[in-house]
Amino acid sequence: MRYFRTVKLGTKSLLLHPMRSLLTVLGIFIGVASVIWLLAIGEGISKEAQRQIEDLGAENIIIRSIKPPDESGGNFRQITAFGVTRNECKLINDTISTVKRVLPIRELSQKFAYTGNPNVKPVDGRLVGCTADYAEVTRLEIERGHFLTTREVELNRPVCVIAAKLAERLFPSEDPLNKQIYLPEKKENFKIVGVLKHRNATAAIGGSLAAQDFSLDIYIPVTTMRARMTDQETKRAGGSFSTKLFELSQITVQVKSSDDVPRTAELVEATLRQNDADRQDIAVVVPYELLEQAKTTRLMFMMFMGLIAAISLIVGGIGIMNIMLATVTERTREIGIRRALGGKQRDIVLQFLVETITLSIVGGITGILMGLLCPVVVDVSRWGLEYFAPQLYASLPEVARVMRPTIVPISIPVAFGISVVVGVFFGLYPAVRAAQLDPIEALRHE
Amino acid sequence: MTQTSTRMAAVIRDLQKHYVLKSETVRALRGVSFEVPEGDYVAIMGPSGSGKSTLLNLLGCLDQPTHGSFLLGGDDVAQMTDDELSTIRASRIGFVFQSYNLIAQLSVVENIEVPLYYMGNLNAQSRKRSIELAKMVGLGERLDHRPTQLSGGQQQRVAIARSLVNDPYFILADEATGNLDSVTTEEILALFQRLNDEGKTIIMVTHEDEVAEHAKRVIRLRDGEIQFDKPVEGRKVFTAEQIQEIAHNADVASRGAE
Ligand SMILES: Nc1ncnc2c1ncn2[C@@H]1O[C@H](COP(=O)(O)OP(=O)(O)OP(=O)(O)O)[C@@H](O)[C@H]1O
Ligand SMILES: [Mg+2]
Repeated sequence: MRYFRTVKLGTKSLLLHPMRSLLTVLGIFIGVASVIWLLAIGEGISKEAQRQIEDLGAENIIIRSIKPPDESGGNFRQITAFGVTRNECKLINDTISTVKRVLPIRELSQKFAYTGNPNVKPVDGRLVGCTADYAEVTRLEIERGHFLTTREVELNRPVCVIAAKLAERLFPSEDPLNKQIYLPEKKENFKIVGVLKHRNATAAIGGSLAAQDFSLDIYIPVTTMRARMTDQETKRAGGSFSTKLFELSQITVQVKSSDDVPRTAELVEATLRQNDADRQDIAVVVPYELLEQAKTTRLMFMMFMGLIAAISLIVGGIGIMNIMLATVTERTREIGIRRALGGKQRDIVLQFLVETITLSIVGGITGILMGLLCPVVVDVSRWGLEYFAPQLYASLPEVARVMRPTIVPISIPVAFGISVVVGVFFGLYPAVRAAQLDPIEALRHE
Repeated sequence: MTQTSTRMAAVIRDLQKHYVLKSETVRALRGVSFEVPEGDYVAIMGPSGSGKSTLLNLLGCLDQPTHGSFLLGGDDVAQMTDDELSTIRASRIGFVFQSYNLIAQLSVVENIEVPLYYMGNLNAQSRKRSIELAKMVGLGERLDHRPTQLSGGQQQRVAIARSLVNDPYFILADEATGNLDSVTTEEILALFQRLNDEGKTIIMVTHEDEVAEHAKRVIRLRDGEIQFDKPVEGRKVFTAEQIQEIAHNADVASRGAE
């Protein structure tokens, strides 16, 4: 009964100055909502980063070929091969026991055309020579038809599998299956045997592994690629030609168990560098290690976000303290009356604490509600941005476009708890000051 | 301790109050002794600075004496802690102030209940009692009104109802009529007399002789000492009809003000 009365009284006192109370609540509201928002967005971003890394495969080791910078100033007679070779690919597969399989991959940028439809312009895409295992290891999913088969690879068949977006571009109104794709630069035709599902891009990792888009890819047997296009690739850039000589763009080493990844990565690296320790034409990327790094980064990120949020809560708390100090001064007389009528010091402390706690609880609860709206608000604002400012939207980093804010459950009780603690902490001083007023002085106060 | 025939509401012995300032010590009370039997009606008078408010603050347990004793129902207030003093104020003393001192957020009936709230005695019965007191002071129809919606006289009547709610040993009134016009002053004095006739002990501070004439006894202070302490000769008393009439007029006035 009595506490109920105290709370009722506190509420009444607060409602006496609705605007002031509202602004005070706003401070806590923003603080709590930002705790939840920042953590949710932070979590969303790191989840997305983790997903992208996981898409590379935690049990994979990726070796990329890197074209060394031209030293001779464009003397095209002196072409040296670079990058990882088919022999090395076989060597790794045969000598390292923890390796499950090794995928040879060779990539070329190409124009793709469909001659059956004169309205369709050629599309710039990526030609990927690979083996049948590629789909499984890279987690590509087939929408229609089938992925390259071992038999097709062994027999150097002129077949291909195309990515979803490319299929839409080249075959806006037709069924791509069994149609021929024409490569004007190579003057080659490939028959489409499968179409892939849509897929999100993977992470860019440092300088060595660009973000992989996959959306304009065509996959053909690596054997067919070798037989028809050789290891030499000549491109016309401006007026001059540039020639590259390389066997493979990448090999992906799949390890039997992800626990063996770090050890295997060392062995792979040692194998590749056995003749030349300073070899510059390869880069070894270990997604597993990146994943571990990402987890640490995530922790740092969350702490940083938490810190920012905590600061905004403290600012809210200072707002409360400021208002309560003003309130105490303004209500000195009331305090005097209450003391004269038998209020003990702790009754006065309680009265003012109840008010600040009420403010912070209201701010806390509304802040939590606002915080829970985070995913919706992010979706709506993305949608709005895409609709009203498509260019701006397109210029956003990939992660900002695809990440989903994930409410961190613990952030809700924590945010609420902090808001109450802030209320008590910042309300205590003004309340104690009120209680310590001399009743006679307080009664005399105008 | 001597047992007197009438019970004492308050007994004061050699009460002194010194205020120690930087440069000097102000001796606001220099040894004051008197007794207030139950049912007494005392007016404390004296020039400005003579120590009236200081004395009243001590009687009201808002302050503690530098020296001397103040017995309230057998307990020596001079020895009490702040919490004990608060309890005494909530349970044994009724305050009526010059500027009414109602709490703005609370309604009439809630204002009357405040001392009970601090005694921890709020319940359905106490609510009934508060309503009865509001009726007694002629505000039965305004239970839910806020202080700002009332006239000065009405506010003071709420304050008087509040001072009665804990059934105090005595009512302390510091210039209770100081802010009121002569008609309203009569109204309040009639109410005091009625309460005194019913056995309530009243101690009031006043500057005005016309107000003091309604008391049974005058204590006059001068420079912190009692100059005299004597019964009022030719005390002005409201007749029963007058009290009724004043109460009725006040009632009409408060209804008319709606
Ligand atoms: N808190 C205080 N600190 C110092 N001196 C004080 C304090 N309170 C009162 N005094 C002094 O004590 C003396 C008595 O003051 P008190 O307020 O009791 O007078 P009073 O009789 O009530 O006067 P008035 O009729 O003007 O209200 C005065 O000289 C006053 O200056
Ligand atoms: Mg005074």
